[in-house]
Amino acid sequence: MFALTRNIRFTKQNFSSFKRLQSTFKLNPNSIVSTYSKSPIVKFTNEHEWISIHPDGTGFIGITNYAADALGDATFIELPTHQIGEDVKIGDTISSIESVKSASDIYSPVECKIIDVNQKLDDNPELLNVDPMGDGWIVKVEVTNNDSSELLDADKYEEFVKEE
Amino acid sequence: MLKLSSKLSSNTINHSQLLKNSINIVSKKSSYSTNDNSENLLKTPLYDIHVKLGATMVPFAGYSMPVLYKDQSHIQSHNWTRSNCGIFDVSHMLQHKISGPNTTNFLQKIVPTDLNSLKPFQNHLSVLLNNNGGIIDDTIITKHDDDSYYIVTNAGCREKDIKFIKNELKNFPNNDKIIHENFEGTLLAIQGPKSQEILSKFTNSNLNNLYFGNSRFIDLKGFSSSDKFHISRGGYTGEDGFEISIPNDQIGRDFFNALLEYDQIVKPIGLAARDSLRLEAGMCLYGHELNEDITPIEASLNWLVSKSRRDGEFANFNGSSKILNQINDNKSVKFKRVGIVSKGPSPRHGNKIFSFDDTSKEIGIVCSGSPSPSCGGNVAQVFLNKPFNKIGTKVKVEIRGKLRDAQVAKMPFYQPSYYKGE
Repeated sequence: MFALTRNIRFTKQNFSSFKRLQSTFKLNPNSIVSTYSKSPIVKFTNEHEWISIHPDGTGFIGITNYAADALGDATFIELPTHQIGEDVKIGDTISSIESVKSASDIYSPVECKIIDVNQKLDDNPELLNVDPMGDGWIVKVEVTNNDSSELLDADKYEEFVKEE
Repeated sequence: MLKLSSKLSSNTINHSQLLKNSINIVSKKSSYSTNDNSENLLKTPLYDIHVKLGATMVPFAGYSMPVLYKDQSHIQSHNWTRSNCGIFDVSHMLQHKISGPNTTNFLQKIVPTDLNSLKPFQNHLSVLLNNNGGIIDDTIITKHDDDSYYIVTNAGCREKDIKFIKNELKNFPNNDKIIHENFEGTLLAIQGPKSQEILSKFTNSNLNNLYFGNSRFIDLKGFSSSDKFHISRGGYTGEDGFEISIPNDQIGRDFFNALLEYDQIVKPIGLAARDSLRLEAGMCLYGHELNEDITPIEASLNWLVSKSRRDGEFANFNGSSKILNQINDNKSVKFKRVGIVSKGPSPRHGNKIFSFDDTSKEIGIVCSGSPSPSCGGNVAQVFLNKPFNKIGTKVKVEIRGKLRDAQVAKMPFYQPSYYKGE
């Protein structure tokens, strides 16, 4: 997602502008992204997206806490409503999030079919800041290729963020 | 420059070319680059305080400047300034003193403002002009006395402006007694409806009779100094407010800290909100709305060309023939700076604008744009060809490869509330 780094560099000291349900890179355990099944796998990209993949192949995609903080107040999200039912490839743009200062594209972490979008974000884009790894999920997908070897687990992602 | 002039004489305008120079300037000046090699960056006297406050520092015009402060989002910072009092470190801007016999005549060569009719301690927005009527920089000029002025110009144009003024001065007849100096120090903008309430706590000066566009020297209580400090009423947010110049660094820091103690009313505000506030107020940012290829008329700043300077002996400023021709012959102006509003994805700097009815026809370019915290939706300042510049005209803006609806709207988007008396 980080076309944003071109615009504003946020240092780690600037975390915590928002009251947050989760402080680390964990899913909100009470949100559908976790509760959809008993054993979701969570993976990350170095573009700061996360995906929770459930045993039946359903996935939820969103942006990480780090990305939400870096972006600042989300004012608008362009959801891929017209792409519901369509197949997307790894790296395809599936959404764009805007803040006052900048706009950032969100890329698909996996090959998948978009089956739903989080319409709550249309009226409440601030959910992307308040609960980016829970109720601020962006799209629901059916993962069509389960190869997630290119993705990072939570520890690797955390390391990656520290180095950034 | 030449390219633009030849383009203007035909009917097609290459809009990207219009911003080409400005983008170069922006990349030096205001892009929040990832290169935070801070050793090469200058620091204002308030730098250590910003860091202590947990500000995110970014390179801006060669300085390390705060863009956001800890625990205040961009929108919170913006709204705070509109409803309370925000203080902005603008010490990176360049302060000038210019005085001596013939100074007014000299300045009137490089700006289109009638400085003779300014009273002492009145100020005026103006523009430094090149010989083609293009804008070298925008500036606030304060008259202190006949032939004595205090001038503030943009940080991003620092070297260019100094060189320009020096060169103009060298070529000006009877220049031998004109003294041009720059000075550094703390320059602080105090902005928002509660600005007077706060500043009054620090001075014996009665601010009730200091109106927008005026300045004076005031005492500051509690800093063990009998010095007087220059304040002007106005600013760059559309709110009531002041800009205070404090040449002594220690007093500058002490005053900044003292203001922050009123934390129920005062918050430090960074560059991010400064930009969204000025955009809503319809104010220009050099490198976005203004550059060396744009005349004040194209930038819809006709009011900066004083009536008394439009003919006769005082119509002698740089680029006057082109600028006055544009005023007198409306048709010679091919495009204007106007506002547009939209919903959805926001227009941003450099986005192209197309005709609503014929989407193959490019008719303009976005100078700056963003979601508007105070007005809702998106607002943008754009260059738009005539006749598409009329209020209410529907246009299409190309954002991320798609054409999006927008509409020409009246500026300012946010109605300023300047203090012009009870």
